[in-house]
Amino acid sequence: MNSILKRASRNFLWQHPWQLALAILGIALGVAVVIAIDLAMESSLSSFNQAARAFSGNATHRIIASDGGLDEKLYSRLRVGLGLANLSPVVTGYVKLEQPGEDSFKLIGIDPFIEKSLHSGWQTGHKKNSQQDLLTQLMNEPNSALLSEKTAQRLKLPVNAPLNIVTDHGTQQLKVIGLISANNAVSEQVLAKLIITDIATAQEVLGLFGRLSSIEVLVDKNATETLSTIQNVLPGSALLISMDNQGDSMREMTRAFSINLKALGLLSLLVGMFLIYNTMTFLVIQRRHLIGSLRIVGVTRQQIFLVIIGEAFLLAIIGTFIGIALGIVLGQGLLHLISGTINAIYFHIDTASLMITPLQIGKGVLLGISATLLAVLPPAFEATRLSPVKVLARSRLESDSRRLMQSIGLISVVLISASLAMALFSGKSITVGLASIFVILFGFGLLTPVLTLLLMRLIERLFGRFLGILGRLPVRMVSAEISRTGIAIAALMIAVSATIGMDLMIGSFRQTVAQWLHSSLPADLYVSLPGDKMAAGKALTDQFLKEKIASLGGVQMLSSVFHTKLIADDQLTKVSAFELNLKSRQGFIFTHKVAANFWYRFENQPTLLVTEPYAYHHAVKLGQKILLKTDQGEHSFEVAGIYADYSGDQGHLAMSRQNYQRYWPNLGYSGIGVYAREGADIKQLESGISQLLTMPQSVKSDQDIYKASMEVFDQTFTITETLRWLSAAIACVGVFSALMALQFERTRQLGILRAIGITTRQLTVLIISETGLMGLIAGLLAIPVGLIVAYVLIFVVYQRSFGWTMAFFFDSGSLFQGLVFAFLAALLAGVFPAIKMAQTRPAEALRTE
Amino acid sequence: MTTEAAISLEQLNKSYRESDQQHVVFRELTLRVSRGEFIVLLGRSGSGKSTFLNLISGIDPPDSGKIIINGTDITSLSEHDRTLFRRYHIGFVFQSYNLIPTLTVAENLLLPLELIRRASRKDRDSVAELLDRLKLSDRLDSYPDRLSGGEQQRVAIARALIHDPDLILADEPTGNLDLDTAEQVLELLDILVRKAGKTMIMATHSQEVIGKANRVFSIRNQSLHLE
Ligand SMILES: Nc1ncnc2c1ncn2[C@@H]1O[C@H](COP(=O)(O)OP(=O)(O)OP(=O)(O)O)[C@@H](O)[C@H]1O
Ligand SMILES: [Mg+2]
Repeated sequence: MNSILKRASRNFLWQHPWQLALAILGIALGVAVVIAIDLAMESSLSSFNQAARAFSGNATHRIIASDGGLDEKLYSRLRVGLGLANLSPVVTGYVKLEQPGEDSFKLIGIDPFIEKSLHSGWQTGHKKNSQQDLLTQLMNEPNSALLSEKTAQRLKLPVNAPLNIVTDHGTQQLKVIGLISANNAVSEQVLAKLIITDIATAQEVLGLFGRLSSIEVLVDKNATETLSTIQNVLPGSALLISMDNQGDSMREMTRAFSINLKALGLLSLLVGMFLIYNTMTFLVIQRRHLIGSLRIVGVTRQQIFLVIIGEAFLLAIIGTFIGIALGIVLGQGLLHLISGTINAIYFHIDTASLMITPLQIGKGVLLGISATLLAVLPPAFEATRLSPVKVLARSRLESDSRRLMQSIGLISVVLISASLAMALFSGKSITVGLASIFVILFGFGLLTPVLTLLLMRLIERLFGRFLGILGRLPVRMVSAEISRTGIAIAALMIAVSATIGMDLMIGSFRQTVAQWLHSSLPADLYVSLPGDKMAAGKALTDQFLKEKIASLGGVQMLSSVFHTKLIADDQLTKVSAFELNLKSRQGFIFTHKVAANFWYRFENQPTLLVTEPYAYHHAVKLGQKILLKTDQGEHSFEVAGIYADYSGDQGHLAMSRQNYQRYWPNLGYSGIGVYAREGADIKQLESGISQLLTMPQSVKSDQDIYKASMEVFDQTFTITETLRWLSAAIACVGVFSALMALQFERTRQLGILRAIGITTRQLTVLIISETGLMGLIAGLLAIPVGLIVAYVLIFVVYQRSFGWTMAFFFDSGSLFQGLVFAFLAALLAGVFPAIKMAQTRPAEALRTE
Repeated sequence: MTTEAAISLEQLNKSYRESDQQHVVFRELTLRVSRGEFIVLLGRSGSGKSTFLNLISGIDPPDSGKIIINGTDITSLSEHDRTLFRRYHIGFVFQSYNLIPTLTVAENLLLPLELIRRASRKDRDSVAELLDRLKLSDRLDSYPDRLSGGEQQRVAIARALIHDPDLILADEPTGNLDLDTAEQVLELLDILVRKAGKTMIMATHSQEVIGKANRVFSIRNQSLHLE
């Protein structure tokens, strides 16, 4: 019996290849997007500091420092003074090759011999003897360097060839004395953009005399005493961190970003589940006669249920595996988008390559199969309910589902209100915020069939007279088969409202940032002074430059900023030290009222300002004290103000330069704001300033900075945009499959219409108007739902994720775009079934049922 | 022949291809039907009754041969023109599921009219009148699935006639009905079609109809045999 059952099911599946393919596509696309996001995100994160890690080997801790770097003397004090053996000093920086068209390379200076105790990855895979020679040579020969074999090949550099590199301090020549190749600890990807030298060469090339970038430390996990001994000798600018913690903090930093991305992935999966649900429902309804006859013959409910579930399982496995393959391809595409965004707003990551772990594949398999089985439960239960005596007619099924819909409508109203309340009153949780959006979408999805029926009734009431019978037919068909049409409309509505919501959110965010940029760029020209802050003499040359700019004819006054990192509450924290004038003070947008003596306190008392995200993440209030580490111990600063800042989501601190220089060394400037005299020629001033500048320095107008910043903004949202369109595309496939199924089910009815004398053209118009109508309804319903989604995204999710407050900017364009998209998508989805139905010969159509 | 035949079939061939098997339904079939004639088709299931009706209505094209209805050779028409021809000249009644489930009884009846012209006040009145004659005037705004099988067939007959076609094709119109109801439906067809002088071809198993027919054919061995 069982094998006959299976054969009956298999035959049926093969007879509907379209539905079969669409179901598999649904699973595959859903799984692919989730997997791709996961892979790309994980790979981006793990590529952080990959190069450095390849050289840190077994190191358990790392001593890092803010911009000034570490004094070499610290290293000898730890090694000789404290007798710590397992230390490895590192100097790193970025350099460019003289060859045009080459990206920047990471230059790592290491101590070739001490380094061995850490068993770092790049050493272990090589033959002992040749390695030993190379290391000795690296140590003994000045300006010698190692390069990866592949890179050397690409650049056509043989061993002993000169390697010309460009830094802030001009061009320098290194000599390639050996080639290294990738092994299981260091990937080719890591080595590709790497130049290895000894410490002295790196210091010289990068101009970091007597300074180190970090020191790798290997200590016993339990040796807390050793750790605290190290802590005690560290200067105020240095921080001992554990390697594990560093990874964690990277993850923590990008957590909000990652959660939001994964939510987008889940959205795609959800829409994919609709596809599966839809196909399986179709397959069950199509087989109601077959199932009815089987029940008469004595097949039990359980057997029917198992056959349906078995089918779904088969589809799930095929779909999931295609999905994983697709996900890997897609992940490759998303990788540079995601790592680009992380690079732009979080931290520098070396070139990322896609890393695929069994864990992630396992997650994908689990997700694909469970999502499929979940989606197939309702139709599987429906199949068991089919009565053996009398197979229910379509219309009976419809009137049943109408009754069901009313109670579902009621439930959904409760669901929506509950999730709105949950969104607003759930504290700081991002996940709950996002979950509430999903529930809101789902709730409105449930409500959609009821609303559709009401709308159809309204349309008939209003336009019925003008439409004629043929014109009324599409309206009737939508409401007559509401159990099918309603679900397709709901799926499209969900996808479109999510799109509208995200569009409004991004738009509002963009506007907010644009306004903020406008007010926070009060100067006419901005001079940017990048370059390594460890470099000796930077403070002096910067000071000199600033004075020269001040003495230029058209300059009225200057402001300046120095971006650095200090250790605040035991965390390396971004701090900006400002020299402000009356105009630049107005560039700050405070979240609170500013007292009369505010700026006096800012300049002269131990106070600081925090950005809004900082205040949010660290729960900082006005008047609170923040401890900052200096070389003379910790000092406490009072939070005097909280201001808007959208340049990063981790937040930072700001203080007056006067305050800064009281405790920390002068390391020059990061930027100088130039305020032109009334009537001065800005263009002329700009060229005047640019003549004073050297290579990496630049001068830009406020508009240029504005444009560049908005470009970065748009770039960071490319990924969101991409994923949003991806899920919209999957929704379209879903609607397409639903419409295909729908038209297929009414073959007989369409055959009768053809017999009566309706032409193929009229039939095509009929079907396309029905699907267009469905799209229109989906679009109309998506407008209010999209607004709600946008509201929750802006005031709940993004606020919680990043600590930014933004204003809601209503954009009717987004709404209209959503409406048009829904309409066109459904229209388009109707074209193929319409053509197929029109092509079906009426004689064939009449043979069915 | 002095009077032009209403239907004239000349050397019709029709077969279906199923994978690599050729299944011949009609071979060199020739027939003339006069205006106002009532033809009954008999034949075993699968003999080709439905196929015959589909050929005449232009729903299914023949492999070769000519089908001339009221002087128009429909085999020479395009698919589109055949559909328009059907719209104006032919009324259809099937065994079951005749009506469009999403339209009310009145709308089902108005549909063929509307295909021909914008339905007028007068058309609505004639629909109401026709339903009155069928004793269905209270079901004007009902949907088909609320009607009994007999009622549905009566509406289907009304729909086949509403636009005043010359030719009525009926494919086992009583096949799904009990004897009493079947008799009512047949009587109705007799009154409405025959008395109006329209040509009708009906495929049926029902013995009662045979007496009322002008000619009775049965389909055997891929051709028609006069009984
Ligand atoms: N589209 C088709 N493809 C293949 N064979 C067909 C097709 N349509 C009809 N046939 C075959 O042609 C023959 C005649 O079919 P038709 O439906 O005309 O029979 P019928 O006399 O109306 O039978 P019934 O009394 O059961 O309605 C049958 O053998 C049928 O299998
Ligand atoms: Mg038949």
